[in-house]
Amino acid sequence: MKRVGSRARTIECPACGGTLEVRAAGWSVSLACRYCGSIVDVSRPEVQIITAYKRAEASFALELGARGELFGQEWQVIGALKRRDALYRWQEFLLFNPYLGYRWLVVCDGEWQFGTMLLDRPAEVKKGVSWRGTVYRRQGQPQTTQTEFVIGEFYWRVARGDKAEASQFERGDEVLSQELVDGEETWTQLVPVDGDDIQATFAPNRRRQPRAKKPQGALSFKSDYGRERDDLPMMFAAAFGAAIMTLLAMVLIAGPVERASTQISAPYLTTLEGHKVGTLTVRRPWQFIRVRAQGAYFDNHWVDLDYSLVDQATGQSIDSYGLVERYSGRDSDGPWTEGDRRADTLVGRVPAGTYDLYVNAQAHSWPVDAPPPSTDAWADAATIDVAIEAETGALPWGNWFTLVVLLFTVPCVITWNRWKHHFS
Amino acid sequence: MINCPSCGAALPVRGFGVPYTTCHHCQALILRQGQSVEMVGKVAVVPDDISPVQIGTRFRLGAEDFVAAGRVRWAWSGGSWNEWLLFSAAGRSHWLGEAMGMYMLTAECPDALVDPQVVRFAQGADLAVGQTISSGTTRFAVTDIKRAECLGGEGDLPFPAHSGRTMTNVDLRGPSGEALSLQRDAEGTSAWLGTWHELADLNPSSLRELEGWSLPSGFPGARA
Repeated sequence: MKRVGSRARTIECPACGGTLEVRAAGWSVSLACRYCGSIVDVSRPEVQIITAYKRAEASFALELGARGELFGQEWQVIGALKRRDALYRWQEFLLFNPYLGYRWLVVCDGEWQFGTMLLDRPAEVKKGVSWRGTVYRRQGQPQTTQTEFVIGEFYWRVARGDKAEASQFERGDEVLSQELVDGEETWTQLVPVDGDDIQATFAPNRRRQPRAKKPQGALSFKSDYGRERDDLPMMFAAAFGAAIMTLLAMVLIAGPVERASTQISAPYLTTLEGHKVGTLTVRRPWQFIRVRAQGAYFDNHWVDLDYSLVDQATGQSIDSYGLVERYSGRDSDGPWTEGDRRADTLVGRVPAGTYDLYVNAQAHSWPVDAPPPSTDAWADAATIDVAIEAETGALPWGNWFTLVVLLFTVPCVITWNRWKHHFS
Repeated sequence: MINCPSCGAALPVRGFGVPYTTCHHCQALILRQGQSVEMVGKVAVVPDDISPVQIGTRFRLGAEDFVAAGRVRWAWSGGSWNEWLLFSAAGRSHWLGEAMGMYMLTAECPDALVDPQVVRFAQGADLAVGQTISSGTTRFAVTDIKRAECLGGEGDLPFPAHSGRTMTNVDLRGPSGEALSLQRDAEGTSAWLGTWHELADLNPSSLRELEGWSLPSGFPGARA
């Protein structure tokens, strides 16, 4: 008697009505709706809503349902998480194969790791842990990590805001990661995988990977855990000095300003291709270019903007991405709005040369693209108007403020802890 | 071959000597005693899931062979899981727990039932997470206590898997990763000792075919 498994089970999201696939039926416990982000209990035949949200975070590096081959085995992406600790943000993807179980893909700063849960617990040894005869050294202090967004299905009760105590142990480029949640610990072995392999096999959305935004200088404090107590005044002095030096360097490097602007009408469901914004010349060895997009009035829509800076001399292109969005509605707490009709995109390290800036634009309506809700007057508009302005010589203020925050976080936390202990 | 006393369908006799079987046509729960068969109730259809195991799936671990003869699906507040009843070639029964894509193969462990705290647990007292008990020379710590409810069953079963039947399941961990579970229900308390495995480690054959998936390399019968 052979039974052929039925197709992936589908359910209707009890919050937004979207059709959702349950790919690991019977094993998955919770499912976060890819359309509205609401978290649903799928552990029983009767589907129940746990937490309702209004909007899902769509910008993950891999798509739910994408399949690819890693180390000779086929895997499907069934869940995606955005997590962070004090210093890093990263994305985690739950991979599934009914015959092989679960695995993980983790991407941080463009670096990918493949994770396998350990069935046997490593033993504690001096300065680290020992697993299957090999010693892994502890890296830094345990960090509190937090889950910011989830979509897809998971074999445990998942929630935004989930916290875990995480420790890492390294040997070469292999990492053992320990996570403690409510006293229950899990161990995962992480090995590096080539980003090109991931690109080839899962075809991820490259522009949406978390980028290396943080200056490396601030991170040197992280590896110095344990020496903080003696180094505190030095840390403040170094942080202050680095912030000032960086600001001076930024102003010096920014260089002359040139502008180009245009007005586009972004169509629905088709892409406005290769609209030229203008020509810009970078006169220094390299400069930042800032692209500002400002949407005309619209609501419950978003516009994807793909920018290409094409070097007139070489034909090489530097790509980046912007998003103007606005959503609103009314729920039990009253009216709400989310999103920004303005989007600033900063393109870093553009080498000297003359560039043509092109934009591709596509408008979408929320929560579903088609058919547009007829009650919404704006849905009937055929296009969304967006003004685009680009300038050279921009200053990366966001990066500078991030640098300042990072530089001062560690010494301030230490000062706070000492003050607390002093009075307790 | 015997016939279902309710619908007349032919039922396979697997000959493993467990008292209950279910009819895959009409969901009758049947008690077998020698040559006599008696319908004692109905079982709920196990909700469709992605499990690659089915009744008849064979496993080999070390030199021992096993075959899946029945399954019970349990639910608790944090989800649900399958317990597959396996018989070894020697005729012993085992449970194969299926959770988080991993498999715990257990054999009955009566030694654990003599610990005084387990004796009290068997009489209805509670155990607490963190409490330790000993079995032989190994000390086990309680890691998890679940109150579980039966969602359905199929195949041959050692007890009547009525939906709504409840049990208390206590998971314990040994110092080298040994897993012990205590199960208490209306009929008594049993202890099961085992280890966690990935499916491939159990050398499975006659797995269920799942649409959209092919058997991965390393499994018997996989395309090279």
